Amino acid sequence: MTLMTLENLTVERAGRRVVDGVSLNVGAGEVVGLIGPNGAGKTTLLRAAMGLLPARGHSSLADLAPAARARRAAFLPQAREVAWPVSVAVLVALGRGPHLGASGLAEADRAAVDRAMARMRIAELAERPATELSGGEQARVLIARLLAQETPLILADEPVAGLDPAAQIATMAVFAGLAGEGRGVLASIHDLGLAARHCTRLVALSHGRLVADGPPGRVLTPALLAEVFGIRAHFAETPEGPVFQPLAVLGDGPG
Amino acid sequence: MSRRLGLVLGLAVALLFAGSLLIGPAALGLGESLRALVAGGAERGAVALVMQEVRLPRALLGLMTGAALGLAGAAMQGFLRNPLAEPGLIGTSASAALGAVIALQSGLAALHVLALPGMALLGAFLSVGLILAIAGPRGGALTLILAGIAVSAFAGALTALVLNLSPNPFAAAEIVFWLLGSLADRSFVHVWIAAPFVLAGGVLLLSLGRGLDALTLGEDAAASLGVRLGRLRLLVIAGAAASVGGVTAVAGAIGFVGLVVPHVLRPFVGARPSALLPASALGGAAMVLAADIAVRLVAPDRDLKLGVLTALIGAPFFLHLIWRLRRRLA
Repeated sequence: MTLMTLENLTVERAGRRVVDGVSLNVGAGEVVGLIGPNGAGKTTLLRAAMGLLPARGHSSLADLAPAARARRAAFLPQAREVAWPVSVAVLVALGRGPHLGASGLAEADRAAVDRAMARMRIAELAERPATELSGGEQARVLIARLLAQETPLILADEPVAGLDPAAQIATMAVFAGLAGEGRGVLASIHDLGLAARHCTRLVALSHGRLVADGPPGRVLTPALLAEVFGIRAHFAETPEGPVFQPLAVLGDGPG
Repeated sequence: MSRRLGLVLGLAVALLFAGSLLIGPAALGLGESLRALVAGGAERGAVALVMQEVRLPRALLGLMTGAALGLAGAAMQGFLRNPLAEPGLIGTSASAALGAVIALQSGLAALHVLALPGMALLGAFLSVGLILAIAGPRGGALTLILAGIAVSAFAGALTALVLNLSPNPFAAAEIVFWLLGSLADRSFVHVWIAAPFVLAGGVLLLSLGRGLDALTLGEDAAASLGVRLGRLRLLVIAGAAASVGGVTAVAGAIGFVGLVVPHVLRPFVGARPSALLPASALGGAAMVLAADIAVRLVAPDRDLKLGVLTALIGAPFFLHLIWRLRRRLA
């Protein structure tokens, strides 16, 4: 089942095409890693797909009314903003906003909040002010907010940036678990090693264009790594799964 | 807002409202005052007149002014995600003051009791149109702040110009005194002028809690949670302008309430913007009622202005808060 369809999505800013004719489907059961160097247009693509930016072309999410979209797809922005020192439990419960009736948090909503906090292993932080956490803890709390929304699709902009290795792997495992439940994830990610191991599919962007789309092994080819990232890397299938390690910057850097 | 906090603030407001009714230059007994408050028909004596025509409208105006300023301050802080935001930031107070000053200067104010508040409200509404036109349809918090600063500065400059060109010192003095902000010598006419705007604006602002809560996560996250930011911004501006414009029209510019009250109460509501709205309305009402009692007690015969007192208390208090914040961050 397709959860999101982008057709020829194009975003122009100050006359420059930041996202250039991207067509993409994300289906149930997929963890799609959105990869590309800095400035490739990953953030803009995610925001335009959510309908947060004016764009040409078509996004099935942007076509929805805001309330309906919030029940279809949850979005984690790259900037981790927590404006007020609300408790972690209150912050995570903001994810229930699209589901709330007139009377506020119902029993089902509290259960969803508890599930999300358990998944991100932050239950013991519940009463702490969210602004007084470490950067990594705050990132996990914000992902828990994303999970509490319990949408079929999740769009996350660099969800694992700044997390310690255990939290990075755990978060990718949470995404895999969601995919196992028939939900879908589209996450931009800079760590190609994590992307190779934990994503079912990778989509590579370069200068706003989609240049590769497929299983990690077919996308992370030496040619693409040289052309798009300007690096050389070691990529091997091992008994523990795929292992990917960038090795060196090629002569003239990213092309 | 927790039930306990609501109870404490509600009780404080009720006591201060009663205090405002019972304290004044005409020394009246407690029982006498209360009887006079409900007296009607032929038995209405001088005491009843004082209670019903002087003190009751003054207490009601204190209640409304404080509630409007506290609520609008909490809404502005929540929307702009900035604890330094205050209702005056979008230029409503300065523009309402300009309208009032023009009414005073041109002599319109002397022609009809409604002329001054009417002009002040006109100023407030013009400023909203101007803010929305400058800030643009999609702009976020930053363009709104900048537009508000521009409108405030322009209205302030025009007010200064009117004062500057004022031909006689009495008119100038009258304008300056009005600008200081006061609830003295108001009547029920003023209550009826301000009440619809304060009520409409207040109901509007109180309905925005969920959107403001979602904004805790930033504009993109809030939009992805289904909050229509353009609509939310329009309603925050309209609600704040209506309630602040309404009270500025009858009481003048009363500063610091909208800034300090939400700031003080935030820790008691777990920093949730939605819970801060009703709490700040009650807290603002308590602060203004208390300050308006204080001006009567501190200098009964000098006509100390309410706006002067709120700033006198508010500014050092605010410094104290900043000091505490600094120590906590250190």
